[in-house]
Order: sequence, then structure tokens, then C-alpha cells
Amino acid sequence: MGGMTRADAPAAAAPALELDELTKTFNETRAADGVSLTVPRGAMLGLVGPNGAGKTTSLSMAVGLLRPDSGTARVLGVDVWKDPVEAKHRLGVLPDGLSLPERLTGGELLDYWGRLRGLDRDVTRTRAEEMLKVLELDGAERDGVLVAEYSTGMRKKIGLATALLHAPDVLVLDEPYEAVDPVSARVLTAILRRFTDGGGTVVISSHVMALVEQLTDRVAIIAEGRVLADGTLGDVRGVDATLEDTFVRLVGAREVSEEDLTWLNS
Amino acid sequence: MVELLIRLKFTLGRHTTGATRWFSLSLILLGAGLTWYLTVTAASAEVRSSLLMLVLAVWAGGWVLGPTITNGVGVLRSQYFTLLPLDRNRVGAGLLVTMFIGAGALFTLVATSALAWHAWASDAAALFLGLLGMLLLVVFMVSLSRLVFRALGAAMHSRLGMEIASLQWGLIVAGLFFGWVAVQPALAAVGSLSEFGLQGTAVTVLSVLPTSWPVLAVDAAVAGAWGAAFGWLGAFAALTLVTVLVTVRLLAPAVTSRGVRRRSRPLGSRVFDGGRPLLPDTPLGAVVGKELRQWWRDPWRGLELRSSLYAGLFIGLLGLISYLPQIAPFSGVFAVVIMGMSSSNLYGHDGTALWLSVVGQGRDTVRAEIRGRQVAIALLITPLAALMSVVMVVATGEYGAVPYVLIGLVVALGVTNGLAVLLSVVAVTPGVDPHRRVDANDTGDNQLQVWLTLVAFPVLAAPTLAAAVWAGAQGTPWLAVPVALANGALAAWLMGWAAHRRLESRLPETFTRIRYGKEIAAQAVPRSGGLLDRLERGALSANNEIKPTGS
Ligand SMILES: Nc1ncnc2c1ncn2[C@@H]1O[C@H](COP(=O)(O)OP(=O)(O)OP(=O)(O)O)[C@@H](O)[C@H]1O
Ligand SMILES: [Mg+2]
Repeated sequence: MGGMTRADAPAAAAPALELDELTKTFNETRAADGVSLTVPRGAMLGLVGPNGAGKTTSLSMAVGLLRPDSGTARVLGVDVWKDPVEAKHRLGVLPDGLSLPERLTGGELLDYWGRLRGLDRDVTRTRAEEMLKVLELDGAERDGVLVAEYSTGMRKKIGLATALLHAPDVLVLDEPYEAVDPVSARVLTAILRRFTDGGGTVVISSHVMALVEQLTDRVAIIAEGRVLADGTLGDVRGVDATLEDTFVRLVGAREVSEEDLTWLNS
Repeated sequence: MVELLIRLKFTLGRHTTGATRWFSLSLILLGAGLTWYLTVTAASAEVRSSLLMLVLAVWAGGWVLGPTITNGVGVLRSQYFTLLPLDRNRVGAGLLVTMFIGAGALFTLVATSALAWHAWASDAAALFLGLLGMLLLVVFMVSLSRLVFRALGAAMHSRLGMEIASLQWGLIVAGLFFGWVAVQPALAAVGSLSEFGLQGTAVTVLSVLPTSWPVLAVDAAVAGAWGAAFGWLGAFAALTLVTVLVTVRLLAPAVTSRGVRRRSRPLGSRVFDGGRPLLPDTPLGAVVGKELRQWWRDPWRGLELRSSLYAGLFIGLLGLISYLPQIAPFSGVFAVVIMGMSSSNLYGHDGTALWLSVVGQGRDTVRAEIRGRQVAIALLITPLAALMSVVMVVATGEYGAVPYVLIGLVVALGVTNGLAVLLSVVAVTPGVDPHRRVDANDTGDNQLQVWLTLVAFPVLAAPTLAAAVWAGAQGTPWLAVPVALANGALAAWLMGWAAHRRLESRLPETFTRIRYGKEIAAQAVPRSGGLLDRLERGALSANNEIKPTGS
């Protein structure tokens, strides 16, 4: 996507994304408990953790979707909760499993989205068309398929397109690879690489350790709302052979012993 | 399996809120009592027979409309069972059986047993026909009820189905608001009912209804025409069987796609073809375009728009048949007001899609978001309501009503438009998220908004009402038109302004309400806030939470 220009140059040398002691309690559950992370510019960070660890909750607070009980987040030095408009201008977001304006086609959705974000019509059109082609949604667009009729993977892809359309500086993607087929996953990886090569910063959440290991240069491990490890891939992995080993060591594994589930063999 | 399903039904029943249940239960008790009262006090066998026909028709009507009105409380939905490795038709049959367990079916049996009494009192030899009819009637009504409810759900998969569902909803709404117009003369007559029964065309019309066939069978037997008696009852038995079979098929769980099937490209979807766009190249233009497309294509929104129009139409027709023709020219005004109520939960309707507005927040986007929705609603309803008004005025010849209709239209268009967006923000109540929706009533609950609109509309339109009364008394009703214009415009503008200010300051909180539900949202409403905060609290406690059927 060569035609994209980055949003106006952000202030000084602030990191791309900073989560600062983000805390959120749902009823009695501490979904996030003082989550702090710093993502330098140009980095790709993988946020990993078991189900219910607080990944979605932390990322939601970082992008302005969920107001934290305490703590805040900064995008290139701009406080998401004090100056939301400025911060959101620099952010591209892909949430997990949410609705879209379901009765638009992918192209209509991007057209709407571009103009809402203040891009002019021709820029929106060029980018949207290019993006639909790269993400292989152009066929569906030609047939007039509505978002409501998209498959789960297609929904991910159109969501990614909305996140990229205004050429943000920082991308925050919740489970971008889930339900995406292997061919599309390669396309997705290529897009994200291109994005970081151009100076952009990416945060993705995932459960798939192998994927995070080969894709990202930084990882953060989170469990029960707390950051257990955070740093470059090498630092976090330390002496462990794979990231999965580190993960299991930190989070703790539930072993399946010989006596358990014996009925499976019957 | 049936036993299991019944237990499941009771378990679910325990979790439904009390008010609706008690209300319907007392209504059922009252109905059963009234049925027996009319049967026992009827002056002659003929009177009794005509009254039974009427009462049975009303029972069937209650069964058809009841579950829709009460949102299918106490109903096991077949989607709950899609993934189980059970025979589909057996699940369907099992689900139908669960419907016969409960107070509804029991008291219907009590009511239909009046037929057996009618048979016995007329001629003891006809008793067994009466008993058979009694049982068949219960089976018929309960299956029909399920059939219609499922048809409403299935409705969202075809244009025709949606149209039928809209008609039904329109009828329900018209009945709720203006049923008294029709009920009043009926009530006035009820005193003399048991003496003279029903007369003339009413009996002819009633005797055509299937629920009257068992009564006709009994009457024929009493008259000695046994062939006719078995004919009527046989016909009714056959119809009942068909209803049961169709219902079982419909209740069988099916894995279906979401919403109306399309055969061609949706209208207006060629954004890349480079045609001259009609809407301005601004956030406001973008929102108006998105909203118009959604109103046009989303079956759930289509249902709200159409049922509002039908309700307006039916109210007019109710007026016509109840000797109140003055009501008819105002059909368009009623349609506008009801459309205002239907669109008073727009954000609940769009569900978590609000995330786009949150992460895409710019300097002016929230204002565009609200104003765009107002413009889209006005663009849709204004021409339709105007057309309906013209047609009704011409059809009734009530030309004297024209200035008042215009006044009503103008003020209603403005006031309800403003109310709709303000309530949509403040009283937002999510339903099943749009991409998981199946049934016609999967959208969010808006009962609080409906009541508030009923109260607030006359208050907010008071200046116009006063002006219309005054100008009418002077013989120059047209003088009130500018007042209506100013009143409507100001109300739409001010409430739209309040709505976007509120949404802008509580954007993440509004999203939280939709995404995380009641309890977590309640923590974020200021305890001692202003009017809008109190409204929001009210919506949190008054409106039902409709849980998605998926995860
Ligand atoms: N609507 C809700 N109400 C109450 N608690 C919630 C709600 N949503 C999430 N939680 C709780 O917050 C915690 C963190 O959830 P979160 O969705 O952030 O986890 P996650 O790491 O994204 O999990 P997953 O990998 O499954 O997506 C969990 O304990 C969960 O139970
Ligand atoms: Mg998650």
C-alpha cells in the first residue's frame, strides 16, 4: 500500500504505545490488574495469555473502548483518555467478535468509514479497492455480498481493512489470525511486515505461540490480569527452547495424567 | 426426551421476570371465567352457540398474538438444540409437547370445556362430540400459536415473511393503542349479549372461522343432522392435524443463515463504479448513506418501519369500521409517532457495531452520527406518512381535517425524531448482537422508550396543540401550521443536540452498556445525576435483557 502517508509526525521520542497501570474489575473479577507495557516505535508485539487472561480487556482500555478503573494509555505520547480524538487518529483497531454495520457490502463499509474519518472520497476509493483486492474480498464485493453474509475469516479481513484505511501509526489487533485460512494468513503477515517496515507499530493478541514466535520481535505474557513477562523475544524466552515452554513455565500447566480421561480409550 | 424438555422449560420459566407472567395468567383466568359466565347465562341454545363461537375465536386470537407480545416468555427455542445429535423432527414434536404443559393450555381446556357443557345441555347424545371438540380445540390453538411464533422467526428469511410479520406487528400495535375504539361498542353490547346473542353478519363471519366448526358440529348433532356433525368435526380434526404437522416441521431446529436471502446485488451497492454520489462528501453524508442502506436492507429495521406504517393504517381502518371516521385521516400521524417509538433504540439495534464510532471518533463524528440518523429517519418516513395521509383524506372525504393533519404531521415528525435519537442514546438496550440474530424479536427491548414517548410526545407538542385548538376556534386552523413547524424543528434540533452531547461524553460507557451488559454498565452511571442519568438508570432496570442464543 505505497500510497499511504502516515499521520502528522508525533511528538518527540515517546514510545508508540504505553499502557500505564491499566486496571479493570468486572463484578468481582480482576480482568486487568495494573497492566503496564511499553511498545517502542516500529516494533511488533505479541500479547499472549490463556483464555480469560485479560488480553481483550487490556487492549480495549488501551484504544478507548473501555474506560479503565485506574491507569491510562498513551499513543505516541498522546493520552487516550484525555485527548481521545488525537489519540484515535493515530490508532488502527481490530476488535474481536464484534458486529459491524451488517447490511453494507465490504466496499460500502470502507467508503462510509473513510469519509467518517475525514479522508476524501477518491483517496478512500483507491485505498478501499486496493485493500479488497489484496485481502481477496473483491470477488464478494463484485457479487454484492453483505458483511452479514461474510464468513468469520472474511469478517476478520474486512475488520483489518477498516483498521488500516486511514493509515494509522499504531495498529492494535485482537486475535487477527483467528479463523483466517493459511493463504490469507500469509497475506496478513505480509501486510503487517510492510506496515512495520514503514515505521508503523503493531500489537497483536494471540494464543498461538508458534505464530507469535515467528512473527513478532517482542512478546508480553499476561495471565489473570497481570503481565508476567515483557521484552524482546530472546529476553522473554531466556534459556527455554520455545516460547511455549516459557509460557507453560510462567502460567503453569495442567498436566493430564495416566488415570485421567481413561474413558477416552474405551 | 420430552420429559427432559419439560423440565428444561420449567427451569427457564423460573428465570423469567414476574410481571408479564402474572399479567398473562390473570388474563387467562379472567378469560376462562368469562367464557363460562357467558355459556351458563346464555338465554337459549342458539345464543349460547353464537357466543361460544365468538369466545373461541377470541381465545385463538389470544394464542396467536400472546407469545409475540410477551416476547416468547417461557418458550424453548429450537435453536437451543441445533447442535445436538437428535432427530430434528423428534425435537420439533418434543418442543410442541412442552407447549401443552402450563397454565395457558390448562385454562384453555377449562374454557373449551364450555363446549362440552353446551353439547350436554342441548342434547346429552351430542356430549361425546363436545368432548372431542374440546380436546381438538386445545391442540389446534396451542399448535397454531407455536406455528405463528415460529413463522415470525422464519419471517426474517424471506421478504414475504417479513411483510407478514410486519402486518401482524402492525395489527398488534394498532390493537394495543386503539383497540378500545373497537372494544367499546362491544363492551356496551356485552350486557345484552347473553340475552340476544350475536346478530346478522357477525354470526355469518364467525361461523366461517375454524374455531367455530366444533360448535357447528355440536349444533348439527343436536338438530339430528349427524352427517353434517361428523363432517364439521372431521374437517376440524383434519385441520388440526395439518397444523400440528406443519408446526413440528417448523419447530425442528435448522441451521440457517442470517436474515433475508438476496438473489441480486443490493440496491445502491456500486460504490466503486464512479457514479456521481448523491450525498455530500462529509461524515454526515457518510452516516446518512449508511443509515438509509441499513433501513432499506436490514429485515429487522424493515420490520420496524413497515409495522409502523401498517399500525398507522390499521388505526385508521379501526376508526372507519367503529364509526369514528375522524381518526382515519390521521393514520399518517400515528404512523410517524409509532415509527418514533420503533426507532427509539437505534444503538441497541446496531449492537456492538458502535465500536466503529468509538474508535473512529473525530472532531465532529459523533454529531454527524446523530444528525445523520435523524436525517435518514426523516427522509424515510416523511414521504410515506404524507402519502398515507393524502390517501386517507381522499378516501374518507374528510377534507376539513387537512390543516389539522398537516399540523399533526409536522409536529410529530419533529418531536418524535428528536425523541428517538435522544432515547436511543440514553436508554440504549442491547438485544442479540446483529450478526447472531435469528428471531423477529431478537432486537433490544424498548418498552421504557415506548412509554416515555407516549408521555413525552403530548408534552413536547403542547405548544402546537394549544395553537391548533386556538386557531381552530378562530376558524383559521392554518395559522397553527407555522407554530407546528417551529415546535417540531426546535424539538428535533434540541433533542438531537442533547443526544450527541450525551453520546460524546459517554461514548465508551455507551459501548460498555452494549458490550458488557446491565450490571457493569450500572457501575458507570452517576448515582445522583441529572434527568438523563435518571433516565438511563430507569432503562437499566425497566428494560429486559435479551440474551444471545450463542456464546
Ligand atoms: N461481560 C463480562 N462480564 C463479566 N466479566 C467479564 C466480561 N467480559 C470479560 N469478563 C472477564 O474478564 C476477564 C478477562 O477477559 P478477556 O476477554 O479480557 O480475556 P482474553 O484474554 O481476551 O481471553 P480470550 O483469549 O478468551 O479472548 C475474564 O475473567 C472474564 O471472565
Ligand atoms: Mg479476547
